[in-house]
Amino acid sequence: MDSEVDKPSHLSVILDLSPTQWYLSARATNPYPLTIGSFLSQLLAFLNAHIGTKNENTLAVFGAFPGKSVMLYTSTEALVDEPPPLDANSYPPFRMVDTTVTRQILRELDAIEPGDEPPCALVGALTKALCYINRITLPSTSSTNVAEGSTHLPDPRILILSVSPDLSSSYIPIMNAIFSAQKLKVTIDVCKIYGADTVFLQQAAHLTNGSYIYLERRDALLQYLIMSFLPPPLVRKVLTVPRQDKIDFRAACFCHKNIVDVGFVCSVCLSIFCQPVPVCSTCRTKFPIKALQRLKSACPSPAPAPPRPLANLNNAVPRTTEATNHSTPGLR
Amino acid sequence: MPSVQALSSTPSDVPQIVPHALLPFLRSQSQNTLTRLYQRPSSCLSILRLLGPLERQLIMNLLWLESAIPVSTMAAWVVPDGKKLYSEALSVLVGLHIVQNSTVKLALNPTLKSSLRQAITGGGTTASFGVPAERDEKRLPVGIDSLDAYALERWETILHYMVSSGQEQLPTKPSQGVLYLLQRSGLMQSTNGSNLQITSAGFQFLLHSPHDQLWSLLLQYLHMAEERQMDLVEVLSFLFMLSTMELGRNHHSCSQEYTADSLSETQKAMLEDLRDYGLIWQRKGSSKYFSPTRLATTLTCHSPPLPTSTTPGTSATTSSTEVALSSTAGPQGFIILETNYRVYAYTNNPLQTAVLNLFVTMKYRFPNLVVGMLTRDSVRRALGNGITADQIISYLVAHAHPQMRKNNPLLPVTVQDQIRLWELERNRLKSAEGFLYKDFASQADYEYVLAYAKQLGVVLWESPAKRSFFGTLEGHANIRGFIERRSGAS
Repeated sequence: MDSEVDKPSHLSVILDLSPTQWYLSARATNPYPLTIGSFLSQLLAFLNAHIGTKNENTLAVFGAFPGKSVMLYTSTEALVDEPPPLDANSYPPFRMVDTTVTRQILRELDAIEPGDEPPCALVGALTKALCYINRITLPSTSSTNVAEGSTHLPDPRILILSVSPDLSSSYIPIMNAIFSAQKLKVTIDVCKIYGADTVFLQQAAHLTNGSYIYLERRDALLQYLIMSFLPPPLVRKVLTVPRQDKIDFRAACFCHKNIVDVGFVCSVCLSIFCQPVPVCSTCRTKFPIKALQRLKSACPSPAPAPPRPLANLNNAVPRTTEATNHSTPGLR
Repeated sequence: MPSVQALSSTPSDVPQIVPHALLPFLRSQSQNTLTRLYQRPSSCLSILRLLGPLERQLIMNLLWLESAIPVSTMAAWVVPDGKKLYSEALSVLVGLHIVQNSTVKLALNPTLKSSLRQAITGGGTTASFGVPAERDEKRLPVGIDSLDAYALERWETILHYMVSSGQEQLPTKPSQGVLYLLQRSGLMQSTNGSNLQITSAGFQFLLHSPHDQLWSLLLQYLHMAEERQMDLVEVLSFLFMLSTMELGRNHHSCSQEYTADSLSETQKAMLEDLRDYGLIWQRKGSSKYFSPTRLATTLTCHSPPLPTSTTPGTSATTSSTEVALSSTAGPQGFIILETNYRVYAYTNNPLQTAVLNLFVTMKYRFPNLVVGMLTRDSVRRALGNGITADQIISYLVAHAHPQMRKNNPLLPVTVQDQIRLWELERNRLKSAEGFLYKDFASQADYEYVLAYAKQLGVVLWESPAKRSFFGTLEGHANIRGFIERRSGAS
């Protein structure tokens, strides 16, 4: 492999740090209980491996806390005031990452007030990660050397480590984030560490050419991370990474934020509804009353041939009821 | 009689980036040496960085496995098109004794595995990342800026000495150790005992990137270390340790000092040599502390942003605004080449000017700008020094001004072609040693001898009009014998 393809790469890691979900994950009744402490130590080894393999590799870590998203670490600027003292036995950048990430996480977790836990701000973290990537790639494109901008661009990737279930109200922002990621040519990788498969993140990985992995053996987290998420896109052309073969393409409706099997799509703005509506709530298009009645009568069973204004979602998007991920070869 | 000029073949053994120049050297070492080297976490980390992306990934894949895995399991991850790259990467790893040579199972060298794990997780007691010095109020730390300036000054002294060795006015001489190294590496040679003269390999060396230059000198240093009975493992691990050290803390913008107490005797001896190359800064020669410069800490980067190529010279005679302007305008490069062969170089750095002077005829010189022409004479002079057309072109590409980068292709095609044509021009003449046969008495005689010479296949040139031909040296004895027999017979 020649040096032209040996470009530096950027990795933004998004950690889902919901206290409830991590408590559930650590219960001894699980097949492979995983505590947040052991998760963090394996994660830090993975982060070190990323910045260690190449000097120019950059890293950013974002945390999704209940109702709040925080940037925990970035290699471009110092977030903590006091850098850790140098130690003869550890590589300074590694020490920097480790202490910064753990210190920031502890600070945020301590600040959480007891009481009802709002859902995790995964979308906020994802958006922040995209904004950050946009910012670090922007200087090279806006400066005078336009032709050079494309060659110096690091291959940006986002890795989402998720433990929370899907939040159906975040469907629209997640889809918007996916479209921005596609435009920025960002690959989104997803590792589902605990809980059931999430429909939205599966779609995110699929649409941005990333890989979605459901962690079956949670005691082997580090090996999963290294083999599937460490290789930059160019190495993935030689060593494959597991891909899911079935993707759940279901969408959430715009009116009640439910994930729907069959939906109704506005023919003007493509908004999705779980039941026929007389007026589109997004673009204010009025639908003919006749069509509405016909759709309503056909509502319980999927309508065979929907009239013009409203289209059956089944025709628009492929649909699978159950999502399974590709099993990973070669893991212990 | 034409004679052959001993054309020294110019082997381009000056290293390319791919694969890294150090890897062949490491591969030539014994397994014992390498295993000793792998005992230090910092060495493992540095070697990991010198490898290609695929090799790195393979090491990482194997790093956290407790037991060896079957070869077929690993191969299952390889896409069909990547089989060749994969086996090449594996053979590199086996050659470096990183992966144990086996056809059934794949496993990392156990020493390397435990050291690399230690490097990534931290801890242990090897102190392989350098023992930092206590901050002391009495020793005021130097700023990173002045450290960069120091490294730059040291490094440019070496290059400047090389480039101006052929001229009358000699700049400041680097230290004796550097001179010896330059001579040993064949970049310079002393022709008549006294003065060192730059060789054609040296001219080529000047056009390489600073990173390549640094490594080819260090490689030479390693070869020399073997002869000086220095322990190679100690030398290498010290270099690797330097490359993992911290240049300075982010927000202090002052350098980080390390203590030399924990170094071995060999490594303490190296301090002086490396100080001469600008890799290390020390307050004074006997100081117990040292700071690595940017040259040292970027050793294992593939494309390091070395200060050498970017910062304008320290001898800033121009006003500071002009320097700031020129440095912000061209952090990447400073050369503009036009289709009319004119070269505008926005620099006030005497070294860059001197390097350009190797193949450009200088016309005007302004405080921040040098103007010159690429002419047939100037390029032929460079070619005569052993520089190739490709090297000139790649130098111009590497140092092109940001404004030039908008062009596609970057350099004007006419100029590129012309430089290549000028190179071909030099290859028009071929010289060979031999004999010229002329003044034949008659046309028949001439043709008879010529036919014989052609039978032997020794004719290089013939001219029936002049009744003469030229034969090689080897054929001379036969032809002379033939002519003598013939004239004796008649």
